[in-house]
Amino acid sequence: MAFHDGFVSQLVGRTAMLDRNGERTPVGRVVDFVVEHPEDSFPRVDAVAVKTREGRKLAPIADVKEISEDGTLLLSAPPTIDAPPDDETLYLVEDLFDKQIVDVNGRKVVRINDLELARTTGAMRVVAADIGVAGLLRRLGGDRIAPGLIARIPRHLIAWHNVAPLHDLNPEQIRLSVSHARLARMRPSDLADIIGELSAQDAARVVGSLDDEQAADALEHLNPERQRTLIDDLGTERAADIIEEMDSDDAADLLGDLSADKQQELLAEMDPRTAEELRELTTYDENTAGGLMTTEFVWIYPHRSAAATIQKIREIAPETEFIYYLYVTDQAKNLLGVLSLRTLLLADPDAPIHSLMDSDLVSVATDTSSEEVASTIARYDLLACPVLDPSGTMLGLVTVDDAIDAILPERLKRKLPRFTRHHQRSAEKAV
Amino acid sequence: MSEPDRSRSLDVRRAAARPRLARTLLMFFSVIGPGIITANADNDVGGIQTYSIAGAQFGYSMLWLLIPVTVALIVTQEMCARMGAVTGKGLADLIRENFGVKVTTIVLLLFVLSDLGNTAAEFAGIAFASPVFQQYIPFLTKYLLVPAAAIFVFVMVTRGNYRVVEKVFFAFCVVYLAYVVSGFVVHPPWGAVLKATVLPHFSPTQAYVTTAIAVIGTTISPWMQFYIQSAIVEKGVRIKDYPYSRIDVITGAIITDVIAFFIVVACAATIYVHNEHLAPGAHPLSVNTAGDVATALQPLAGKYASLLFAIGLLNAAIFTASILPLSTAYYVCEAFGFESGVENSFRQAPVFYALYAGLIVIGGGIVLVASDAFQNVIIFYSQVLNGVLLPLVLVLMLLLINKPRLMGRYTNNLAFNAIAWTTVVTVGGLTVLSTIQLIMNAGS
Repeated sequence: MAFHDGFVSQLVGRTAMLDRNGERTPVGRVVDFVVEHPEDSFPRVDAVAVKTREGRKLAPIADVKEISEDGTLLLSAPPTIDAPPDDETLYLVEDLFDKQIVDVNGRKVVRINDLELARTTGAMRVVAADIGVAGLLRRLGGDRIAPGLIARIPRHLIAWHNVAPLHDLNPEQIRLSVSHARLARMRPSDLADIIGELSAQDAARVVGSLDDEQAADALEHLNPERQRTLIDDLGTERAADIIEEMDSDDAADLLGDLSADKQQELLAEMDPRTAEELRELTTYDENTAGGLMTTEFVWIYPHRSAAATIQKIREIAPETEFIYYLYVTDQAKNLLGVLSLRTLLLADPDAPIHSLMDSDLVSVATDTSSEEVASTIARYDLLACPVLDPSGTMLGLVTVDDAIDAILPERLKRKLPRFTRHHQRSAEKAV
Repeated sequence: MSEPDRSRSLDVRRAAARPRLARTLLMFFSVIGPGIITANADNDVGGIQTYSIAGAQFGYSMLWLLIPVTVALIVTQEMCARMGAVTGKGLADLIRENFGVKVTTIVLLLFVLSDLGNTAAEFAGIAFASPVFQQYIPFLTKYLLVPAAAIFVFVMVTRGNYRVVEKVFFAFCVVYLAYVVSGFVVHPPWGAVLKATVLPHFSPTQAYVTTAIAVIGTTISPWMQFYIQSAIVEKGVRIKDYPYSRIDVITGAIITDVIAFFIVVACAATIYVHNEHLAPGAHPLSVNTAGDVATALQPLAGKYASLLFAIGLLNAAIFTASILPLSTAYYVCEAFGFESGVENSFRQAPVFYALYAGLIVIGGGIVLVASDAFQNVIIFYSQVLNGVLLPLVLVLMLLLINKPRLMGRYTNNLAFNAIAWTTVVTVGGLTVLSTIQLIMNAGS
C-alpha cells in the first residue's frame, strides 16, 4: 500500500478500481470505511464501502491491494458484500463525521471534522480525530483552492483512545460501546461538566451508560434542573438505583426538587430503609443543617478496643463516604464523643475507645442555618460537624465541602474541587 | 416494594392531580418564553418600518394579509420548537450533523452576513428615534444613544444569566404595548378597520405587491428559526411539556401580529388619511424609514403618539440587538465546534467573542460613521441575503423534521406537511421574487 497516512476526507470520493494483473477497471467510488472494533486504542479499518452501480458494497480490507498517493483504491476482487445498515456497524463518515464527541483527555465536547488514518503494525488504523480548522478546510476542499495552506495551519488532533463518541451509547449495542469505558475514566466533576454541555438526549445516554455509582457521582455535581430532566429520561427504576448510590444529602436535595408523585414513585423503587431515611431528609429545609447532612457516618461503641475498632472500620468503611471522624455513641445512638482516624491509628491497640475520644463536643441542630454550620466548621477547623436531635441522638453529619457548597455563590462553586473526595481518591490510590 | 407503599404513592398522585388548573398554569409558565420572546424580537426595526410604510402608503388595505402571515409564522416557528424539544439540539447543530460541513458553511456564511446587516439596521433604528427624544432632552443624539445601547447590550448579555435575561426580554415585550396605545390614540374608524382585516383586498399595482411581499418577508426571518429552537433547548423543554410550548409559540405569533396590526392602523389613520385629503398644491408626507413615521406622527396625532412610536422603536432596536449578534456567534461556533459561551474568557473562545463583538461594533459603527447612502447599501444587501437564505433554511427544516431517525413519531403528519410545504413554497417564492425585485429596482 502506497498510502501511508492521511485523512479519511482525502480518500472519500476517490475511484475504486479492480486490478487484475495490471488491467484496471473502475468499479465505483469510495464512500465510507467500516471499523469493527472501535473500542481498541487505535482500531483497524476492516472494510471499505464502495458505491457501485449495484448499490453500496463492502470490500474487506484484505482485498485492498493498494491505495495510491492520489487516493485511488486498487482492489484484487470486486466488492460484493452488501453494506449493512448504519446501526449495525460503525461507519467512519456516516457515524462520526460532523458528530459530537467527548475529548476524554481535554474534558471537552467537540465536533469531528475529519479522521486521521495511519499504517501501523501492518494495518490501516484510525489514529486521531481532527477537530481543528485544518480539518474543516480540508473538508471544504481547501487543498484544491489553496494548495499548501492547510499544512501551515496548526493541527488540532485528539488521539483516538481519548475519543468517546456520543452516538454509540445505545445499551443494546454493547459491541459498539466504545465510550462507556472511556467516559468512566473521567472524574465525576469533569464528567458532570461534559453532561451539562450535551443535549438532554445525549446526556441521558451518557449517564445511562455509566454504572450506578459513577452515575450517582456525576449526578451529584449537576445543577438541579439538569438532575430533574435526567431523572425523567432515565426511567423510574434506573433513576431510583442511581439516587440510592448518591450521598444522602444530595439525594434528598434532588428528591426535594421533584414533584410529590415523582418522589413517591422513586422512593417506592428503593430499598425500604434508604427510602425511609431519604423521606425524612427531604422534610428538612435545604438551607439548614438538616438539609445539608448526610446520614452515612461511622459510629462506634466506647468499650471496644482501638484494634477491634480499626477492624470494624475496615468492614464498614467501603460503604461510607466520610470516615475521618468516628463518632462514639451508646446503643440508642446518643453521641458521647468523637475521635479522628488519626488518633485511632496512632493509639495503643488495646486502649478502649472511651479513653481516646474527645467528649468536648461541637454539634448543630437540624434547623441550624447553613451559614452557621459553615462558621462553626470554620471556627473549630473541622472536617465535619455532627447533627443532633434535641435529645442528643446523632442524626447525621455535615461535611466541610457540603457546608462550603451551601454558602458559596454558584459561579465560584463550580471551580472548586471537592476536598474530601479528592482526598479519599488519593488515599485509595496510595493503597 | 411493599403494598402499603404502592397505595400511598397512588394517593399522593391522585392528590397532586386534583388542582388541575393550578398545575396546568404552573407548567405553562415554566415553559413559556421562547415563543413569545422570539416572535416579539421579530418585530424589529425592519419590521416596524415595513408595517409603517404599509399603513402610510396603502391605508387599511393590507391588514387582511396579517392573518395568513400569522398562520405561516406559527407553522414555521412550531416546527423549530418541536425539533428543539425532540432532539434537544439547535438548528445549526442539526444542519451540521445531517447535511455536512459544506451546506453548513454556506448557510452560516450567508447567515453571518445577513445578520451583520440586520444588526446595523437595529442600530439605525436607534438613530432614527433619536430626533424625537432630542425634542425633550437635547443631548440624546445618536452619538450618545447608539454607543450606550451597544454597551447596555454587551453588559446585560455577558453579566446576566439566561433566567435574568429572559425576564428583561419579557419587559421588552411589554413595551411593545406602546404601539397598541398609539393605535388607539389616533382614533381610527374601527368599523372600516375591522372590515379591512377580514376581507381580503388586492391591488395589482407593483408598489402594492412589493410592499405585501416585504410584509411577509419581514415577519418570517431566517434568524428566528435558529433562535427559537435554541431557546427551547436552553429552556430544557421536553416533548411531554411540548403542548405548552405550542401554546407559547402560537401566543407569540399572535401577539406579534397584533402589534403589527396596530402599527399599520396608527400610520394608516394619520399619514395615509392626511395624504388622501391633501389641499391642492401641498406635498404629501413621504415615509421611507421608521424615523420618518415618528416625525410625521407629531403634527398629525400629537407629540405623545410620536413619542410612543419612538420609544417602541428604541425598544425594538435594543431588544433585537441583544439577541441577534449573540445568537449568531453561538450558532456559528456550535456548528463548527469552536468554544462558545459568555462564561469563557476571550482567550478560551476567541472566535465566539470576535464574532459577537464584531457584529456589534461594525453594526453600530456603520450607523455612526457611514453615510446614509452606505447604510442603505448594507441594509439592502442584508435583505437580499435574507431572501436567498430563508428558502434554503425552510427547506432544510422541512427535510430535518421529516426524518424519522431524528424525530421519531414527531415528524410532520401529512396534513401538516401540506400546510408547511405550501407556506415554505409561498414564503420562499415570494422572498425570492422580492429579492429579484429589490435588485432590479436598485439597478434601474
